[in-house]
Amino acid sequence: MHIDDVQTRVKKVIAEVLEKNQSEIANNANFVTDLGASSLQSICLIAGFEEEFNIEMDEDKSLQVQTVSEAVSFISLYL
Amino acid sequence: MSIRKKDHTLIDTTEPNLLNGTFNYSLPPLIKFDGPIIEYIDGEPVEFDPKSAVARDIFITDTTFRDGQQARPPYSIEQMVTIYDMMAKLSGPNGVIRQTEFFLYTKNDREALDKCRDLGHKYPECTGWIRANKGDFRLVKEAGLKETGMLTSCSDFHIFQKLKFKNRKECLDAYCEVVEAAFEAGIRPRCHLEDLTRADIDGFVLPFVDRLMKMSEQVPEELSVKIRLCDTMGFGISYPGVELPRSIPKLIYKLNQECGVPSDRLEWHGHNDFHKVHINGSSAWLYGCDAVNTTLFGVGERTGNPPLEGAIIEYISLKGDLCGIDTLIITEIAKYMSSIGMLIPDNYPFVGKHFNTTRAGIHAGGLRQAEQIYNIFDTTKLLGRSPRVAITDKSGVDGIAIWINEYFGLTGEDRISKIKVHKVAQWVMNQYEVEGRLSTITDEELETKVKDYMPDYFAKYKGSLKNL
Repeated sequence: MHIDDVQTRVKKVIAEVLEKNQSEIANNANFVTDLGASSLQSICLIAGFEEEFNIEMDEDKSLQVQTVSEAVSFISLYL
Repeated sequence: MSIRKKDHTLIDTTEPNLLNGTFNYSLPPLIKFDGPIIEYIDGEPVEFDPKSAVARDIFITDTTFRDGQQARPPYSIEQMVTIYDMMAKLSGPNGVIRQTEFFLYTKNDREALDKCRDLGHKYPECTGWIRANKGDFRLVKEAGLKETGMLTSCSDFHIFQKLKFKNRKECLDAYCEVVEAAFEAGIRPRCHLEDLTRADIDGFVLPFVDRLMKMSEQVPEELSVKIRLCDTMGFGISYPGVELPRSIPKLIYKLNQECGVPSDRLEWHGHNDFHKVHINGSSAWLYGCDAVNTTLFGVGERTGNPPLEGAIIEYISLKGDLCGIDTLIITEIAKYMSSIGMLIPDNYPFVGKHFNTTRAGIHAGGLRQAEQIYNIFDTTKLLGRSPRVAITDKSGVDGIAIWINEYFGLTGEDRISKIKVHKVAQWVMNQYEVEGRLSTITDEELETKVKDYMPDYFAKYKGSLKNL
């Protein structure tokens, strides 16, 4: 899957979980400090990514991902 | 005290020091001593060696059926037999719970005693409890008991205001007459120094005990007087530097060293009016009493007595070994007592519904990573109670993951990760943030939500649901 497609789908999940417009989500945005994700929403994001891409990620490593671009790179490892 | 400034250097390490010698998890945390206890007695420093105290044959005695029953409706005979049987199993072959005492006044009292003895347990030995009345020895003798407690109240509140003696000598003589009657009946008297912590120690208690010791010289060892130190109103203080009559170290020292009552004939009986009941009992062991008198779950007059199960855990912590005790029986006894109407507070140590339940999400996170972080010892192994989380808005996703794993009894690779429980977690948060809920989420509600939001998971594991 092309990296741009991954990025688009990652932003779609983020927009749904955090109730944002996709256009507001910058590539380097931090989930917590820029997008205001709570700890529960951070878990929901990971669950959303797993569902969107039909993958199962390592829990501890996935929880260390902090930005949109890191998420795109990390998810790409599973595709 | 002058200031003794000292620099302390960080010992950096990448390997945690979890102090396994003390907190090895398979036992309650061990109590280790690194020096003597110093108490000033009559102006002179006296050393108590806690290590040698722990090495003595210290033990627990029980008064669930006497003091315990004074604080609640009477047990039925069947209930007493069941409790006695479980107490014997808890005690183990070494008789850590050495004795338990019975009233002897009613037909039911005597029948319960007989049926308990019919079980054939060596420990706890059944003893009696009577008023200081010569005629009452007939009851003890008829019951075939070797030992009985008897009231020998020793404060002037009791001597003058309750018992109406004209003077102390008359009182002392009367008590000694009853002790003499016990000797004549071939029964060992256990003199209960009622209200000791409010008594004139030099003026009455020590002369009385001196005389009891002299009387004991005239009888075989197995009849010699035992002394129960009764902190009837909970006034006793365990720490050093307190004056008599409230000082537990001084009381025990005076009886043990000055009057010469051996440790194996000294027993501490406390009350919890000032929240000191457990530590006072434990301290009595260290200062020279071999026996600490207790009741199951601390039920006794007013605020109660030292809790037996607390003394058991303390005993193991001091000895560093289970010593044959079957700690799982503590949970069985608690279940039984609840089934016959005893209310055990949820936060009551070792047996309360939530004694090892955490509510805070941040604690649940620790618990999820390593159980020992927020569990006092291996409560699953020793008490049959695995650590739990109660679900509120503070539990976090970690708490819900632990709850599901515990509720479904999942271990190893079957344990669910917190990512999988996000929908249930979201429902919980909505309960508080959207619905304005104030109460804890119940197990039944969560089970339903697992079924709704994680149907595949529920179908796979519903067979292993635990009845918590």
